[in-house]
Amino acid sequence: MTFQPVDLDKVLTPASAEGRKEFETRAFESLRSRFEAALDPRDRWGLTAVVPARHLRGAVRFLRDDPSCLMDLMLDITAIDYLGYPGHDGARFGVVYNLRSQRFGSNRLRLKVWVEEEDPVVPSVHDLYRIADWQERETWDQYGIVFEGHPDLRRLLNHVEFVGHPLRKDYPVRKRQWLSTNDPMILPLEARLEARGFQVLEHVAANSPSVEETDLLGKPAVEKVNYVEKAT
Amino acid sequence: MKVRNQEGEKIDLLTVNIGPSHPATHGALRAFVALDGEMIRAAATEIGYLHRGFEKMVEQGTYQQVLPYTDRLNYCSAILNNIGFSHTVERMFEVEIPERATVLRVLLSELSRLIDHQVCIAAAAVDLGALTNYWYLFNPREDVYAIWEKLSGARLTNAFTRIGGLYRDTYEGFEDDVRAVLPKIEKGLDDAFRLLEHNRIFIDRTRGCCPISAEQAVGWGWTGPCLRATGVDRDLRKDDPYLGYETYDFQTVVGSTGDTYDRLLVRMYEMRESLSICRQALSRLEPGPVNTPDARLSLPGHDKTYHDMEALINQFKLVYEGVRAPAGEFYGSIEAANGELGFLVVSDGTGRPWKIKVRPPCFTQFAAYADLVEGSLVADAIACLSSLNIIAGELDR
Repeated sequence: MTFQPVDLDKVLTPASAEGRKEFETRAFESLRSRFEAALDPRDRWGLTAVVPARHLRGAVRFLRDDPSCLMDLMLDITAIDYLGYPGHDGARFGVVYNLRSQRFGSNRLRLKVWVEEEDPVVPSVHDLYRIADWQERETWDQYGIVFEGHPDLRRLLNHVEFVGHPLRKDYPVRKRQWLSTNDPMILPLEARLEARGFQVLEHVAANSPSVEETDLLGKPAVEKVNYVEKAT
Repeated sequence: MKVRNQEGEKIDLLTVNIGPSHPATHGALRAFVALDGEMIRAAATEIGYLHRGFEKMVEQGTYQQVLPYTDRLNYCSAILNNIGFSHTVERMFEVEIPERATVLRVLLSELSRLIDHQVCIAAAAVDLGALTNYWYLFNPREDVYAIWEKLSGARLTNAFTRIGGLYRDTYEGFEDDVRAVLPKIEKGLDDAFRLLEHNRIFIDRTRGCCPISAEQAVGWGWTGPCLRATGVDRDLRKDDPYLGYETYDFQTVVGSTGDTYDRLLVRMYEMRESLSICRQALSRLEPGPVNTPDARLSLPGHDKTYHDMEALINQFKLVYEGVRAPAGEFYGSIEAANGELGFLVVSDGTGRPWKIKVRPPCFTQFAAYADLVEGSLVADAIACLSSLNIIAGELDR
């Protein structure tokens, strides 16, 4: 992974309200002409630019690297589920990228990509911002949005055995799930070792409570994930 | 775990869980590490042990009902979260809160920042074996909790702000209590300074321990004291001023190397600035209302509710239907003790939020933790973790 070094020696004075407005107009003009961006009328206070998924990486890279933008801080990535939102027609999900510039103090901008329920896929930006790795994992966990190209799209906040995506509007609030085992985390650790130049010679069996053990408690048994088999 | 290292030697690595339930993790965090002796060769982190579904819960109630939930984000400085959330919703309405409420919010923000930094520094020092600092820092912290208790009735989960102002005005003697507690905090801080700043053991343990460069920190999305420790002079109170912070005289504190020493020292020096802001806010405190008169946000008050039909309807609708934030999507943020605390609020125009996404400052710091500790000793990893001040409440939501 390579990251564009940002010259932070010279930090600029905070932008005025006019300066911010001017930045937003200028940035949106570039996004519109180069990446077919459209204004999102739902953001009445700042600027949210809607870009097609195929232009997302280009737009993010442009915002990060262009000397007039330098949006070097990925504050957050999340999704919004519009299922049942009054007056909404169109794609069910909007994936939101919340950006800020460290160089230009308070310049902020959001990008939005519409995602259909049947094909909830957007390209990953994990290689453009390191933090995007976890933010995309969280969004996948909570909303089931697939980030294409993400190296390790696992759940982040919810349990490894959790089924479904709880922040979707059709996930029942009071639904309970029986979760019995720990996440052995052997695979991510081995991946990190290998990324650092180690060669794993022998895969360790994941240690987790047996299915029979949970049966004794009178609770539904869960299918055990065979991490060793997955690894080989 | 048998591996072949970069030189082609076969070595046996020991896998150990640091956490999720260990005093040194200060919360339920898990780092699964592969050890070569005491050296961490690789680390994988897992979060979510304190995941309560904050973002699902807040969709079930009204905007006012969200407020007590925000206490449980960063519970070391609960009022800062209250202020962040209330401020965000007020900005959606484009409503200004009265002067007294603004000054009180600044005062409470800075007191909260002080007690939050106290937790971080004291706990970090304890992890390094320097126990005395703990009492120097935590005794005055207890006095702040006594003020919280008198103010809001609660020590930890205060829920002291309201959308449009504050829960109520301060009690009689509040200013004297704050005036009395500031020198105590300062004394404790000075004592801790004298014990730590030039302490050989402390310096040897923290300097050069798990450093991060400014470019890397920005790439990891860091904000707040941990980012400033790398030398990036960024603070929302200066860059995107809210609550009139631009009118207060204070400086941002920056470090140079972004190591554990810098992260802790930045917090200690920041406490000095916060003390100064507290004193300035105290001198500005004038009597006046603490809630906006805007009937869309504030309850009319008992005397009106019981004698005026319109006020009764207003009270009923605000309580039962909630504050009706204008339809749309808004992101508001403040500089919390750990960095930028943001709320992305999606409103459909009703009294219940369609979605609220919290942007917790700890999240970005802990995401980088595995990278930070790989190649360092286990003891350094513990020192590093406490200097990041990870609060599981806001990390996992």
